[in-house]
Amino acid sequence: MSVNAWIVVGEQPAIGDLITVARSLGGQVAAVVAGPRPVAETVAASGVDKVVWCGALGDAPAEAYAQAVADIVAADPPRVVLGGRNPGERVLLGAAAARLRAAVLTGARSVSADGAGVIVVNAVFGDIADETVAVSGPVALLLDGGSVPPAGGGSVPIEEAAATPLAMKVIETKTSGFDEVDLNAAPRVIGVGRGLKAKEDLVMIEALARATKAEIACSRPVAEGLNWMGKDRYIGSSGAHIAPQLYFAVGISGQLQHMVGVQGAETIVAINSDPNAAVFKETDYGLVGDLYQLVPAITAALK
Amino acid sequence: MKIVVAYKWTCDPEEATVRADGTVDWSRAKPGISAYDPVAMELARRLAEAAGAELIGVTVGAKGVGVAIASKAALSRGLDRVVIIEDGSLQDAGRSELAAVLAAAVRHIGDVDLVVTGDSSVDVAAKMVPTLLAGELGWPAVGEVTAVSGQAGTLRVERAIPGGTQVLEISGPAVLAASADAAVPRVPGMKDLLAAGKKPVEHLELTALDVPARSAVMTVTGRSRPDRKARKGQLLDTTDPAAAAAELVSALRGAGAL
Repeated sequence: MSVNAWIVVGEQPAIGDLITVARSLGGQVAAVVAGPRPVAETVAASGVDKVVWCGALGDAPAEAYAQAVADIVAADPPRVVLGGRNPGERVLLGAAAARLRAAVLTGARSVSADGAGVIVVNAVFGDIADETVAVSGPVALLLDGGSVPPAGGGSVPIEEAAATPLAMKVIETKTSGFDEVDLNAAPRVIGVGRGLKAKEDLVMIEALARATKAEIACSRPVAEGLNWMGKDRYIGSSGAHIAPQLYFAVGISGQLQHMVGVQGAETIVAINSDPNAAVFKETDYGLVGDLYQLVPAITAALK
Repeated sequence: MKIVVAYKWTCDPEEATVRADGTVDWSRAKPGISAYDPVAMELARRLAEAAGAELIGVTVGAKGVGVAIASKAALSRGLDRVVIIEDGSLQDAGRSELAAVLAAAVRHIGDVDLVVTGDSSVDVAAKMVPTLLAGELGWPAVGEVTAVSGQAGTLRVERAIPGGTQVLEISGPAVLAASADAAVPRVPGMKDLLAAGKKPVEHLELTALDVPARSAVMTVTGRSRPDRKARKGQLLDTTDPAAAAAELVSALRGAGAL
């Protein structure tokens, strides 16, 4: 059985994996874009069958078009609606799912369709268990969007919808000074936890990152609360899920909510002063000791 | 002005275990107010004080969410009253249904100007219920909210975006999900707990609410415990940090990780 899918797209066209999943279901793949025109153009050239664009955003955020997106999707109701794991697309997906009264799943490991409906193997409760779920009726899936899809030879026309935004507008945008990062693209990642005593000590971590050509990430309290880095750098059940070749957990205790984000890492190294830290249960190489001695020693050993 | 805080009374998966057949054992887990919900309550309390608004807690769930200790825990964090929809049929409800029940409760309360939620629930962590609730109500939704000011009908909302922050102006009612660091929640004292015992608790029957039926039925056809990647679990001798570092680097090079 083939099923039709809609993909909801916000201000970035990072939907490569959503297209792959939608295509695998065998039916029509349509996309609705609440974002700038170039995003709609990228999507139109990515191999989807249909693109509807909500028009220029002006001073409205993508979220302002949530109801318009729901209208557009509901006018040609699909069995599956897909959105990426980012704030804007969550809102678009939520509005479309509410309108369709769809089931909503957020931990899909695989998606397929058979005569009875859509079958999803879905990770639940912070990925501690998997459920196979058969859905009769529409289902909305929140997934990692993946990268920007390459142009796939030819382009479909962009239909512009007469979309009315909700009453919300952006009146100011400020930069934080934190660099944006794509942790998923990094082959090696160093995660920093509360074991680091001061923000200035990140200099020591940066030296290790240079020596290993790694990106720096963190546990949730380091980005939220301590505010030592941008929120796109925290790893965990509600943050980034990464699968690098190598992950260093430095001063991280290894709570479930953090470790589910690094389960896919090929090799995990943990440095922690507490020999009973949970992180040592899920590491390949564990170093019990003072990170202030061990991190510089590892950096030196790499030279 | 009426402000609703939607909160969840649930358990932390850190305290759950997964049996070999993939079922989750929650018997040793202790329920509480979901980790980030006190932040939402604090953020909403500050706005309620500034705007002279009433602050109403709403929670929806299966048997247990309406126990006195749960209401008291919520009320001690600055809510004026709570509305509870506790029904056994919600045991396995999906988040789409929970959001629809929340929306019905918001309509039942009436004249609500703003709904505030936590960043994500401690058990599911999907950040979808606020967006579904907004979808049900036809209201704007914004996540990662770090600050909010204004009054009924005109809200000024600051939210985190990659690389910075954005200030939004919203006319009319809205659903806002607070970022985890939007406010430092108060620690309720004895006075707050005593006051909480005297505040109104309203139990609403699910059957008294107008909740449209879902168009999709989910059937769990299989469960499994995911295979964790096998780890070497090798502890290196760190008596001499330099020697430990050399051993680690050599092992990582051997494994092709560097």
